[in-house]
Amino acid sequence: MNTALDWRAATLKNGFRDATAYRVEFFSDIVGSAIVPAAIQLVFWHALFTLGGATEVAGMTFTDMIHYTIVSVLFSQVRGGDQDFELGEMIRTGTLSNYLLRPVSVVEFIYLRGAAPRFLIAGLSLILGLILSLWLGGASPVRVCGAMVMAVMGNVIHYQIGAVLSTMGFYWEDAYSMLMVKNLVVSILSGELLPLNLFPASMRWIWESTPFYLYVFGPTQYALGRWTHLEFLHHLGIALIWMLGLWFLIRMTWKIGIRRYLSLGG
Amino acid sequence: MTERLSSPLARYFEIYRVQLKNNFVREAVYRTNFLTSIIVDLVWIATEVTLFSVIYANVPVIAGWTQSQVFFFLGIFFASDALFTTFFQRNFFNFSDLVNKGDLDILLTKPIHPLFLILSRWMNLTALFNFFMGLFIAFHYAAPAGFPGGWKWLLLVFWLLVGLCAAILLRFAFAVWIFWTDRNWALVRLYYQFFAFATKPDAIYPGMIRYLILTVLPFAFIGSVPARALLYGLQTWEYFALAFVMLGFLGLNTILWRKGLRRYQSASS
Repeated sequence: MNTALDWRAATLKNGFRDATAYRVEFFSDIVGSAIVPAAIQLVFWHALFTLGGATEVAGMTFTDMIHYTIVSVLFSQVRGGDQDFELGEMIRTGTLSNYLLRPVSVVEFIYLRGAAPRFLIAGLSLILGLILSLWLGGASPVRVCGAMVMAVMGNVIHYQIGAVLSTMGFYWEDAYSMLMVKNLVVSILSGELLPLNLFPASMRWIWESTPFYLYVFGPTQYALGRWTHLEFLHHLGIALIWMLGLWFLIRMTWKIGIRRYLSLGG
Repeated sequence: MTERLSSPLARYFEIYRVQLKNNFVREAVYRTNFLTSIIVDLVWIATEVTLFSVIYANVPVIAGWTQSQVFFFLGIFFASDALFTTFFQRNFFNFSDLVNKGDLDILLTKPIHPLFLILSRWMNLTALFNFFMGLFIAFHYAAPAGFPGGWKWLLLVFWLLVGLCAAILLRFAFAVWIFWTDRNWALVRLYYQFFAFATKPDAIYPGMIRYLILTVLPFAFIGSVPARALLYGLQTWEYFALAFVMLGFLGLNTILWRKGLRRYQSASS
């Protein structure tokens, strides 16, 4: 009997049941959140190449852009989750107290509960990606699997950043705004709205200095064969460093924050 | 006072004045929230501007729109959307609760149209900052975008009202289904996903999507059509089409609202 493994497995199972209790909502949300970013990208490519008559933009042809759009949709479904908002709300409302009494890490517990449906989506996206890799030039099953690993790491990093930001709730009225700001920045710097190599050279540092490109742009580049295996390993190493650094930051910010935490009521 | 309020219009004005005052007092209590909301709005504006800046770093024109023209459109869009966010958005968020929890009962018994009370109770006055930011952007890019200015600025008021009405009609069309469904969370999410289409000029969309956002889901009326009308003017048939679509939505919403009310069963005791 492995207790540490048991509670994690049970949390994932419960999280999955919660998310799929309303199946129509669950699947319509997935479809909606996949179609709209893809449609926005396609609109830009239509405007640039079909209406504008361009043959190449930032070294990418119309076909390259379409391939990017199709594959990036798979990974944009894996990133995200709103567990960090849940953490912030728990701090604000005082429901955090209930979790502090439990013999498990509250940050990890909330992550696992909310991540369960994302893991299901990651599995479905992987299957779709493997099928797509058969006819997309440059892609291969190995690359798609590696890219999905990076996307899942991106999901963890996204939550870790949110968990650190949510501790603002210990000091302010709530951390909602900070988390919203993070999500807005992620929407453009993750590469889900457009390939980050469209950024002019003078602006590259903006996305290179954040881990957000590891959510969608990085996995898509690798899956489509635009990164070598060595480049992929290099960025995977960067992802690991971010995860480790953020893990320490979570421990530190939560340790300090909990000292200030005051829960009133019975 | 009683005499003044005996006029229906005066009664509505008085109620609105009280709602406005209550909301102002509520927001004045949470000052930090005011500050952080402004930061969120600024980042949202920066995100949209950055998106187009990146695109225009690679090409000079998109579907006949220059960078200045797109920024002018963004200014109009931000201002129009901010009006909706300020005066209506929170009311739509609370609409499902009113129906599900039976709180609609009390509003139905008042001698005021229930929709007026439903749509005017909650405001987000902080969002007015976005309105002014939108106007600032529009004014800043007006000349390079080719907007003639002068008396034509008066048309901005009309077009902002068109954008506001379109947003209300659309949001209502997505919200009213709560009378038939226990949870309309998926529909609300769908609304906000479609809303992304409002954040780009309609000229850049392929035929099918463009037709959709100008007719069945007229998200283009929020910012894109107003900006296009101010920059280039519209053809006569386009004015008729706009009125036809808006009136069609108004009619549809009225029918759905009445049917929904007939279906409504109070959940309160």
